[in-house]
Amino acid sequence: MSLRGRATKILLSMAVVALVLLMLLPVAYMVMMSFKTGPEIVRDPLGLPEGLFLGNYANALSKMSYARSVINSIGITLSVTVLVSFIGALAAYPLARRTSGLSRALVLLTALGLSTPAFVTITPIYVIFREIGLLDTYVGLVLAFTALNLPLAVFFYTSFIGSIPVELDEAARLDNCGDFKIFWHIIRPLLGPATATLSLFVMLMVWNDFTYPLLLITDEDKFTVMISVYRFVGNHTLSPEDLFPAAVLGSLPLLVLFILFQRRIVAGVTAGAVK
Amino acid sequence: MGKYRIYLFTLPAVLVLGIFFVYPILLSLRLSFTDFTGVGIPKDVGWKNYERIFTRSRYLDALQVTLLFTLLVVTLQTAIGLCFAALLHRLPAIRHFCRAALFMPAMMSFVIVGYVWQFIYSPFNGGLNAAFGRLGLAAFQHNWIGDPNTALLALGFAHVWMFVGYTTAIFLAGYAAIPQDLDEAARLEGTSGWQRFRHIEVPLLAPSFTINIVLSTIGTLKTFELPFIMTRGGPDGATRTLSLHIIDSLFGKYKFGFASALSIVMLILVVLIAYIQNRVLRAREARL
Repeated sequence: MSLRGRATKILLSMAVVALVLLMLLPVAYMVMMSFKTGPEIVRDPLGLPEGLFLGNYANALSKMSYARSVINSIGITLSVTVLVSFIGALAAYPLARRTSGLSRALVLLTALGLSTPAFVTITPIYVIFREIGLLDTYVGLVLAFTALNLPLAVFFYTSFIGSIPVELDEAARLDNCGDFKIFWHIIRPLLGPATATLSLFVMLMVWNDFTYPLLLITDEDKFTVMISVYRFVGNHTLSPEDLFPAAVLGSLPLLVLFILFQRRIVAGVTAGAVK
Repeated sequence: MGKYRIYLFTLPAVLVLGIFFVYPILLSLRLSFTDFTGVGIPKDVGWKNYERIFTRSRYLDALQVTLLFTLLVVTLQTAIGLCFAALLHRLPAIRHFCRAALFMPAMMSFVIVGYVWQFIYSPFNGGLNAAFGRLGLAAFQHNWIGDPNTALLALGFAHVWMFVGYTTAIFLAGYAAIPQDLDEAARLEGTSGWQRFRHIEVPLLAPSFTINIVLSTIGTLKTFELPFIMTRGGPDGATRTLSLHIIDSLFGKYKFGFASALSIVMLILVVLIAYIQNRVLRAREARL
């Protein structure tokens, strides 16, 4: 490549990187502001904080019962992830191995499930839960989330299992293995990568979800992190000393997960999309 | 060993989905024809709820707001995502970093994005206005979410910010599927970057377009948290989406029956649009 071509490329790269960093400015802004005192924010809304003021965080942590809500969120998220992976993989097995009309119908139903907004089910789920006493319970919330995320899991696993050679099934069948044994001993161990990617997505959706816990949970002790943030920051005043530490605390776990697993997450998005 | 015995595997999924998904939708349908207020016995009112939705202007407005918002977001997101992907395709050195960096906002919850952007847009020395002031562009300062003319745009921008990484990643995957030799052949013939983009890349990226447009449309039509947190439907209903009406009817006014009707309308809308889009875009894919 000519020298001029090389220079252009370098300049262009720098420009694009700058643009991308500009996009991340709001995140940097959020973190910066969380370390500033109230008067500092008024005086100098854009500059770097004078010192790492931790008072905002102390205040937020004490009022938000952060630890409790993190434990709640983790518990709910993990339960949903486990349930969705297991039930989803189980259901995907026949859908991947049989292409009969029934399979196709079920896959279509799954696709329909994916495009249905959570809103359609929120009213009746509230009513149903109230009738059977699942309102304001962990179990209820976990079940509702599981139903919400199952279509994605089934879709994911169906295409993944579809890429596992049928020969493996047939070899096991020759050894007189029943369907379930084939699933448990042959298919299941191979699902590792798919489960890992799916789990990341389910965790993302459940952890960040706001509507379901908002409407289905009223007991303070059961609040998830997002609800804690919402309750703490409120809806009317924009008090930056509350808002920013809460925002950082709320996004921290997932951002850490992202930095650790970003390659897998991005791969999962593109893999799912290119089918 | 019946041929259908293997379908037993789908039983747990069918059960869960049946009870917590299909049944609620059917119940929603039934409730939509009543005036259920959450207590007591629902009384049948026929099509009155639906009549109300399609004749009162506030609901038609909400429909318009939702559709406009979706159009805005999908167009911007797809365009910007395409630009980034086209650039990053040509700059492999920074591709991984940029793709991951752009993706980061998608990991943040709507609630947090809503709060942070609400502050950025704040007329009282919020980040955006302060930046304009510092850069000497004080004329650009504005009450972004307080002005009915700019509120929807402001929300839209925050939404695009969150998901542009998704769009870019999907387009980049589409780029990876373009055969190398095509690109090289075009280069050898002396075509410019822009010509290559218009006549080779864009047509070959058709499947990625389909996926991006369908996914972002479905996702944006459902939008709730951003308008709820940032503007609560204001100012003057400029950002009152269909979803906000549903929640308001449900937990603000306890009109369960009416909320159900709104939900069913939303469901039909989303499924219809998704179906039409899918058909149109796939047909386009086949042609190109």
